Amino acid sequence: MRERITVYLGGVVVLGLAMVPFVPGAPDSYLFYFLFLFFLHTAIAQSWNLVAGFTGQISLGQHAFFGLGAYTTALIWQRQLFGESYGYYFDPLVLILSGLVAGIFALMVGFPLLAKLRGDYFALGTLGFGEIIRVAFVKGGQFTGGPFGIIMPSSVYETLRPHYWVGLALAGGLTYMIHRIRRSHFGLALISVRDDELAASSHGIDILKYKLIAFALGAVFTGIAGSLYGHYLFHVSPDGFLNLNWTLYPILMAVIGGSGTVLGPVVGAFAMTAVFTLASVSYPEIHPIFSGAVIILVMLFMPNGIMRLAKR
Amino acid sequence: MSATTPVIELDMISKRFGGLVVLKDISMSVGPGEIVGLIGPNGAGKSTLFNVITALYAPEQGEVRFKGRRLTGTRPHNICRLGIARTFQLVRTFLSLTARENVLVGAVYGRGSRGGNVNAIADEALAMVGLTQQQHIVTEHMTLSARRLLEIARALACQPSLLLLDEPMAGLNESEIERMVEVIKRARGERGLSILWVEHKVDAIMKICDRVVVIDHGEKISDGTPAETVSNTKVIEAYLGEPIA
Repeated sequence: MRERITVYLGGVVVLGLAMVPFVPGAPDSYLFYFLFLFFLHTAIAQSWNLVAGFTGQISLGQHAFFGLGAYTTALIWQRQLFGESYGYYFDPLVLILSGLVAGIFALMVGFPLLAKLRGDYFALGTLGFGEIIRVAFVKGGQFTGGPFGIIMPSSVYETLRPHYWVGLALAGGLTYMIHRIRRSHFGLALISVRDDELAASSHGIDILKYKLIAFALGAVFTGIAGSLYGHYLFHVSPDGFLNLNWTLYPILMAVIGGSGTVLGPVVGAFAMTAVFTLASVSYPEIHPIFSGAVIILVMLFMPNGIMRLAKR
Repeated sequence: MSATTPVIELDMISKRFGGLVVLKDISMSVGPGEIVGLIGPNGAGKSTLFNVITALYAPEQGEVRFKGRRLTGTRPHNICRLGIARTFQLVRTFLSLTARENVLVGAVYGRGSRGGNVNAIADEALAMVGLTQQQHIVTEHMTLSARRLLEIARALACQPSLLLLDEPMAGLNESEIERMVEVIKRARGERGLSILWVEHKVDAIMKICDRVVVIDHGEKISDGTPAETVSNTKVIEAYLGEPIA
């Protein structure tokens, strides 16, 4: 019952947020940009939550998927893969393809890594993969634009509204999906793999299969988020997209909010986006110190995340 | 031995770890509806044998057959789907899931193509071990004996034809042991399950088992009824040491 109310309230909040762009002047405010960032962060935090929080596979290669998604968008657009007159800007097909490319890479890399490596070693393996992708794009020459990256035609930009809506749909949809997964037989398999691999496999669960599905799903949504951010910057580069921050942010947000819970990453994304924004606006000279101090305080007093604290 | 084909059959199994021979030419079987106890002193090779049966280890020699089918090389999740479920010596419940969710894992994923309603199967398995009342408790908060019973329920929900119990009495007190004995008897009685039961507590084994297999230093030294086993001089020597001559 309480759960139903939460889902209902969540739906109302998402609907309310979807109306915000219609408020006169809203799309030009800083708060609007803040919300867009919050949605983007929620999407990448939830993606990591699915792999690590629910399935127990700590991925440190999320920045590779974020970058792969963004580069896919940039390459399709720059090369005009679907013809010159095609509308690439916010084309659903381009967004989905960006996610799929990240997902395909996740399957190709995940299969050997997940079959052979466990725990810390898997984490290091994904970190290595992320670095390989970064270096490959830096050294990609003409194809990837090297260290400078690829510029997309920013003349199509009119407002932040489409970014906002796509971000909201991505964050809201992903959170709802994770809620459904948590209550499903599929979710049971993921959690049992996280809790005890040996017991899971001796009760009929093909652990490699479920780890791979979770890893690939997380990559798909991270890739779409990367594509979305590319739509905002119009400049996809190794520094901007294949940066380790895109792995650290989602981990930070999911852990602070409560990894392995449905709403934790949302709360964490909101809290951390607020802290980062506040720090960079109000105390630009000590931004990293301020943010770092907040993170340490949260870890000290809420070691299981904000959501788990609320449960008690 | 009955004329019917055994549920599980081990044929001249040998297993080495480097130069150490842990199992040597072990042959044994469990027939339909039979409870067979597997005992032996510490380090005799009981756990290794268990892991060979569940295909976690591949034997250097010999083969394991389940209903006549070779098991060597089968992946663990398929072993369960074929009809072999197990419990663990060091309890391994899914700690963040409720008791019912634990059992559901077995009912949903462990049954292979055996039909039936998932929820009804979970209900029945929980009732069989007497955990219906506690089904919504997260297992992290359950006692050791409740978790051991839950492991049996989770294994039963896989609807196996062979149940492997790895020291289900370890760490339990007298009354809990009695309850466990009742559960094991019921599981066999109501389901017609075959059970292979590894145990340290010899007295419990002697009370219920149809047959007892004793291994020592990786070799089978006795295979017979509980009465035959306790009077076997090799067994007495293995447990008490050689008589002073």
